[in-house]
Amino acid sequence: MSDVSSNYFVAAATIAAKLDYATKVAQRLSLTASNARALTLRAGQSAAGFRPLTDAIHRLSDITVSSSKKINAIAAVLSRLAVEKYRADSALNYFDTIYLQAKKSQHIGSLDDAYAQTQVKQQGLMVKYQKKIKQLTQELEAVEGELRSAVVLKVLCQIEASQAGLAYQDALNNVAENVESIAETIKEQIVFSRQQVAILQ
Amino acid sequence: MKSEKLYESNEHAWIVFGRDIDKPDLIIDTNQYMVTSRNNALLMDPGGIELFSSMLSAVIKELPAHKITHLFASHQDPDIISSLGLWDLALPNATLHSPWLWEGFIRHFGMQNIEYDGIPDEGGRLTLDDVSLEFIPAHYLHSSGNFNVYDPKAKILMTGDIGAAIEGADAPMFVDDFDEHIGKMKMFHQRWMPSNRAKNDWVRRVRELDVEMMCPQHGRIFKGDDVKRFLDWFENLEVGLTKGKR
Repeated sequence: MSDVSSNYFVAAATIAAKLDYATKVAQRLSLTASNARALTLRAGQSAAGFRPLTDAIHRLSDITVSSSKKINAIAAVLSRLAVEKYRADSALNYFDTIYLQAKKSQHIGSLDDAYAQTQVKQQGLMVKYQKKIKQLTQELEAVEGELRSAVVLKVLCQIEASQAGLAYQDALNNVAENVESIAETIKEQIVFSRQQVAILQ
Repeated sequence: MKSEKLYESNEHAWIVFGRDIDKPDLIIDTNQYMVTSRNNALLMDPGGIELFSSMLSAVIKELPAHKITHLFASHQDPDIISSLGLWDLALPNATLHSPWLWEGFIRHFGMQNIEYDGIPDEGGRLTLDDVSLEFIPAHYLHSSGNFNVYDPKAKILMTGDIGAAIEGADAPMFVDDFDEHIGKMKMFHQRWMPSNRAKNDWVRRVRELDVEMMCPQHGRIFKGDDVKRFLDWFENLEVGLTKGKR
């Protein structure tokens, strides 16, 4: 952490907000999967190839929702740790000033215990903070990897849509477009969050 | 920050801290008080976060930090206790005595180590070695949960915002001309104190105490006859006014 600790609160809170938004968007993906399943049931045999793809859309939605929630929770813990560390940093700065201001005081040594304990606390918070950053990075990478499959999923959906009966082709193509656009929106939140993590490190 | 001994006996002493010429210009000047006994000390209305360094520097010129075993916050205002999050790290074993009403609010300043001892509405006592101190109710003066600290032996009453005056950090520590001092107190009391009834209840209660020195959190300390002059003036003052109007 650098001295501009207040940036950490903002960065961690921003990540939490972005991931909260990503969760809501991922829930739309689940709705798209449910709509696609209903559509393939109505289309019957003419869209038989599309049906397994709806399971894949559901799976992508579930993974994204659960990862987003997990990342959101980590970001919330990070924000709290950043605040606690800021308090410990501030206290040490104040103590340093007091050591200068009252250096001739016969009781100045009575601050040593509080200083040492606050230092230990500060270091402990730093360790916890770094651990959470690592966890956050891993989770963001994992969900980003999952989202890459959305492009493949879209292409497969388009291929299967072209095989379906004419009456359903537009609707199924629309599902394919939806999958890609929702995944793209989620990815934007993830990429932004990864940039914010760089500030936190 | 200046410090001055107000009272000293074999058992205990009262010290006032204030007139901090290094404080940022736009924050109100405050007085902090400390009672020291043989092995303990009570720090009263320890002040805002901006004063913490000056305050702790001044305090440890008097005694080792671990001797401050008790803190008192007359009410919840930031100039009274917003430094709590830092005292919490400096004095992790201390107890904070403050109105029960404000516990959930005061904890917002950061309190993970210090213990909160909520003072009931009717008041209470604190014993520091051989010294007995009383928490005197002063509700609605100005805060809805508010206490003074009375020391019957030293005959000192720490009154928080009651008796406060708005003055610069270079003002004398004691009232020297009561009539002249009224001009510095009047608006503060009329605007900040909301209840004539609560004010008069408090005046009646304090008249029953033997008070040699009345110590507010802002402005100057009243001594001797000026204590009675203040009670008479305050009793006749209409409060709860904005710009002198109801």
